Amino acid sequence: MATADEVHISDNDLKPFFVLHKASNSQQHARKPVGRTSRKVKVNLSSSLAASDESQLLDDQLHKNSRMKNFHDAWVKIESTIKDVLHNINADVFNEINGWVQKSFGAICSSGKLDTNKATCSYPIVTDVTSNQIFTAFVVMSNIEFVDDLQTFADLGVHLQSHGCHMANLSSVDFSAKSGIGGCLRSLLRQILNGSTDAADISILASWYMEHDNYKNPVVVIIEDMDRCSASVLSDFILMLSEWVIKIPVILILGVATTLEAPKNILSSKAVQHLSPSKFFLGHPTDRLDAIIEAVLVKPCSGFLVGHKVAAFIRNCFLRQDGTLTSFVRAVKMAIVQHFLMEPLSFTVKGLLDEEVAEADAWPRQALDLPSCMRLSEPKSEALLSGASQMKEVLNLWSSVVLCLHEVGKNQRTTLLDLYDEALDPKLYNLRNSDHLEVKPDPQRPSWNYDMHGQSFERQKGGLISRTIRQIRDLPPAALHQLLEKWDKQTEGVDMIHEKVKELRLQEDDNLKEPPTRSRKQTIRNNGNSDKLSEKAAALITCMTREHMQPIECIPFHEIVCFRNADKLQAALVGDPRKRIQLDLLECNKFLKCSCCCTKSHNVPISSMHDTSLMYTLAQEHGNLINLHDWYQSFKAVISQTTVKDKHKSKVSPSPKKRKITAQPQIITEASAQARFCRAVTELQITGLLRMPSKRRQDYVQRVAFGL
Amino acid sequence: MSKEETPQVTRRTTRLSATHTPNAIQSPTKSINLPPLSLHNLVYGEQQEPLTFDDLISSLPGRKNQIFDLLRLLGPVNSPMSPMFVYGSASTGKTSTILRVFRYLNRPFVYSSCRTCYNARQLFDNILNQLLLHRKSENNGYSSAKKCEKPADFVNLLKEALVGVVDGLKRSSSSKKLNGCVNGSMVYLIFDSLELVRDWDKSGTILPLLFKLHDVLKVNDVGLIFISSSSLDTYHSETGFVDPISVYFPDYTEEGLRQIFMRNQANPKLRSAFLDVVLKPFCRVTRRLDELSTALSPLFKKYCEPLDDLNVIPDEETKRKLFSCLQPHIGPALNEILGVTSQSSVEAGIKNNLKRKGGLKKFGNDSIDDIDFHMSTSAKYLLVSAFLASRNPATLDASFFDSTGGSANQKKRRKTSEKSKDLKEASEQELFMKGPGTFPLERLLAIFQCIASSDEYSLENDEDPQETTGLGGDFGENNLMSDILLQVSSLCNANFITKGGSCPLEGSTRYRSTISEDLALKVARSLKFPLSKYLYRR
Repeated sequence: MATADEVHISDNDLKPFFVLHKASNSQQHARKPVGRTSRKVKVNLSSSLAASDESQLLDDQLHKNSRMKNFHDAWVKIESTIKDVLHNINADVFNEINGWVQKSFGAICSSGKLDTNKATCSYPIVTDVTSNQIFTAFVVMSNIEFVDDLQTFADLGVHLQSHGCHMANLSSVDFSAKSGIGGCLRSLLRQILNGSTDAADISILASWYMEHDNYKNPVVVIIEDMDRCSASVLSDFILMLSEWVIKIPVILILGVATTLEAPKNILSSKAVQHLSPSKFFLGHPTDRLDAIIEAVLVKPCSGFLVGHKVAAFIRNCFLRQDGTLTSFVRAVKMAIVQHFLMEPLSFTVKGLLDEEVAEADAWPRQALDLPSCMRLSEPKSEALLSGASQMKEVLNLWSSVVLCLHEVGKNQRTTLLDLYDEALDPKLYNLRNSDHLEVKPDPQRPSWNYDMHGQSFERQKGGLISRTIRQIRDLPPAALHQLLEKWDKQTEGVDMIHEKVKELRLQEDDNLKEPPTRSRKQTIRNNGNSDKLSEKAAALITCMTREHMQPIECIPFHEIVCFRNADKLQAALVGDPRKRIQLDLLECNKFLKCSCCCTKSHNVPISSMHDTSLMYTLAQEHGNLINLHDWYQSFKAVISQTTVKDKHKSKVSPSPKKRKITAQPQIITEASAQARFCRAVTELQITGLLRMPSKRRQDYVQRVAFGL
Repeated sequence: MSKEETPQVTRRTTRLSATHTPNAIQSPTKSINLPPLSLHNLVYGEQQEPLTFDDLISSLPGRKNQIFDLLRLLGPVNSPMSPMFVYGSASTGKTSTILRVFRYLNRPFVYSSCRTCYNARQLFDNILNQLLLHRKSENNGYSSAKKCEKPADFVNLLKEALVGVVDGLKRSSSSKKLNGCVNGSMVYLIFDSLELVRDWDKSGTILPLLFKLHDVLKVNDVGLIFISSSSLDTYHSETGFVDPISVYFPDYTEEGLRQIFMRNQANPKLRSAFLDVVLKPFCRVTRRLDELSTALSPLFKKYCEPLDDLNVIPDEETKRKLFSCLQPHIGPALNEILGVTSQSSVEAGIKNNLKRKGGLKKFGNDSIDDIDFHMSTSAKYLLVSAFLASRNPATLDASFFDSTGGSANQKKRRKTSEKSKDLKEASEQELFMKGPGTFPLERLLAIFQCIASSDEYSLENDEDPQETTGLGGDFGENNLMSDILLQVSSLCNANFITKGGSCPLEGSTRYRSTISEDLALKVARSLKFPLSKYLYRR
């Protein structure tokens, strides 16, 4: 038996075996119950797998495939969800812009149409000074990075085109100083005329417009990132359009990344005179992010969730470093890839997704070995059976409570990002369960730093949720009414909470039935009622957070759907190249793994080190400026393998030549030392760590970007 | 419309029918053939009723003298003229006056603007196309009539074309076919915005060519008119051609502006009351018609707002009332270059939110900004450090950011004498006039590191408790420090930092922060960074 097994294992080790069987999933499925034990299956180094000794190799292969499939499904789902969310957010603005375009076009046409000859003539049609203004929309993106909005503007182009406009999407690449005004005209014509010409002459556009459209639809030019355009080219472009303004009904849409001050700063005053501007606002990036988080991570749309640490990492990335949706989506994708790659049980995720699949509800037996399940006290087989459905229930409860809290916080601009982060924290949840929310906080904001650690600090940390709850108490009746309505909507389908919310709403209705202004006394009583009501609402949400807001990491079997390894994610996302170069230079023996310098501690410069690395190590002793002579001397001293004592001597004696000859086993000539020195300095300069001597200080090089 | 594919005669009806169905969505493939051009088209607005002399004068208020000058210089029909140079500052009615005069005279002309024709080739093409009655259309692939790159070719082709046109005009006037439509057989070439040629003509050959064109062509029946916003002296002219006769268009007087703004008004009394109030202060700022009209038209709307009936003739009482309503708007309008109107209803909500937010006590949270666009924390720190690097002299960096260096230096400062004080003031003045200073990337990074790392600590301690525990601390540090160069480039893209040319002495790129102190303060406030403590005040 043992030998047979061994044979099998060695067979299985052959790659072709896997390849052959990869395609035929169904056959293997049939063979599965037979079972084949294999001992060394540690393909994946996940902690949860470490314990599972009796997983099956074929199963594993099968599961790998299904994990792969699950990943694809989940990612497709997430991607389409994000797309939908963004589409919904933009829909209003797009419609508004479209309305404005049509209105502006009406205004242009109202000044009377031109006949063919006049519309293509070269002289300007002068009617009135104000009439040679171009209708311009400034679309404010309110994010300093504009990557997110590339797609938005492409969508806007499609949207307007579907309403009959002739579209051209230009970007700052077309408005570079290098290609000049000809460049942007060329790409404008290419887009509008569908590439039927390569010339760059605006009179062509006029002729084309007369031939093809004749004042039925406007020509809309979108410039995505106005801030990046070459100022003079853009100004020239606008001035040129203004000469043709009645002849070609052009409407400009300019994307502004930061503030409305930007166009004033960029454009020449002459060009500004020719704009008749309006402004539109795209959704604020935090709002958009909130919407995406709600759709993707709070409501479990894909059977994939992230743990608290990962959420905190993503939040930090967004707030501190990048601040784009693009990078957020990238982080989520990276997380999802790693999750399905690392978690062997993630093939069962499907149970969480499909509502109908009842038999797939139970988690596989291996799941019992998950650490979260170890803690479980109740009978484990039961937990396995109810598995996915129970988890789904808990997750639904959690998400509806979070969304209810968000509804409260919206008034105070509490972002879902922060709330989500806090609601995921398992520590806080445990704290909450031990009476934390009942503790009355100080009436004025407590100073954060009176106690740096321990209980009180933890309490401060959970401040956002309790603060949000406190806000309910101060709500005026009308706002409370709206809030309850929203809660009603949010909790639909989650019976446990929904009932309570309904009850509360009934009470409120009763209160409202009384005519509001009968007498002074009555109104006072009414106020009292509404106060009581808000107390009740606060109590309800407190109770909800305590009982139902169970973070994913406190649920048994959460490892299957939840990705928690923030360090992995960080390693994948944050490259930190500059710091890396410097660290690696200092510890080059880690990479070179040569026998000569491995043994000694890495901070001591020795002659066997690589020149560049040695130089950089020596440079650490200097400050901002490095005296070239000193540096060279110490470099030479090291490479000629002097002892520390000798090095001291060399500093004292001004004639290094003499010492060199006496104290070295292999002969390093002055010339070769200088050559090595020069090459190392150049390498350091190329890596951007050094700046060469300036004219003012000819014998010093400057260290650049230390520590960054 | 669909049946009438044939051009020429049916063209007019085609367009008329098109006007009746403005909303019909046309198929992109169908196109109307444009009619061929004829000699008629060389005249301004060939089918309009003739303009009388009185109309001409009254349609251009304040330009009477210039019109007389132009008419005198153009002379009677078919009289040869020497080149004319029309100049005056922007928006003084040069182009419109000349076009009007030509419409009045009904003489054929060829107009080309050096703005639309942004290089020599475009200019040549444009002129030749017009003279050869060539129209770019889909049928000819939007190509030009003649390919012409070199000035020498241009002169030859132009001569050819001119002779052709002049012959055609002579023939038709003798056959009386064009009588009443086209006056005379002389063709005028008008070059507008000539000052731009100096920018795009790097070789410096086009301007002399244009100025010499009259002598070179040796065609009597051509007149040259140059329109420019700068005077003839600014064209560093070589010898070899006769200076053209110049006509100067002075700025409009207040009276002239008043007449212009009074044109086509429904309620002249009301308008004149409005102009009484605003024209004087605005004229002190600018006399340019375009600037004034963009500034005045929204103000006039404001002025009329309180009135129910726009046809009311205002008495003194209402005038005073209207003025008091308008007065608060005049000051801001004087300073406003670009008044952006809002179209959206959503925006009101946003503003409300902002207001409410402002009133609130801010929570210790780096997601809530004072600035209304999103910027990551590290970009904010970088912006603040760029601002500091631009404002503070580099020599003071040590005293600001080094805890030991600063105070000692300050205390050592001796009492200064009167004279040195004056000197210092002068140098301060000079610094102020120079604007924000430049700095190398290293200095920016050093300052960034100082303020970010020191502030990181305080931020974690008292504002952002979420960062301190566990992973927060080291995350924060890592995250702020990495990808800094990316942030620098995105700040450059947002025009918050400009990348200057390299300093010739040092050979490295230098940067300059261009943000206003207001914005810097706002950003610093959102970081809770004590900017004023680090700012060197002169």
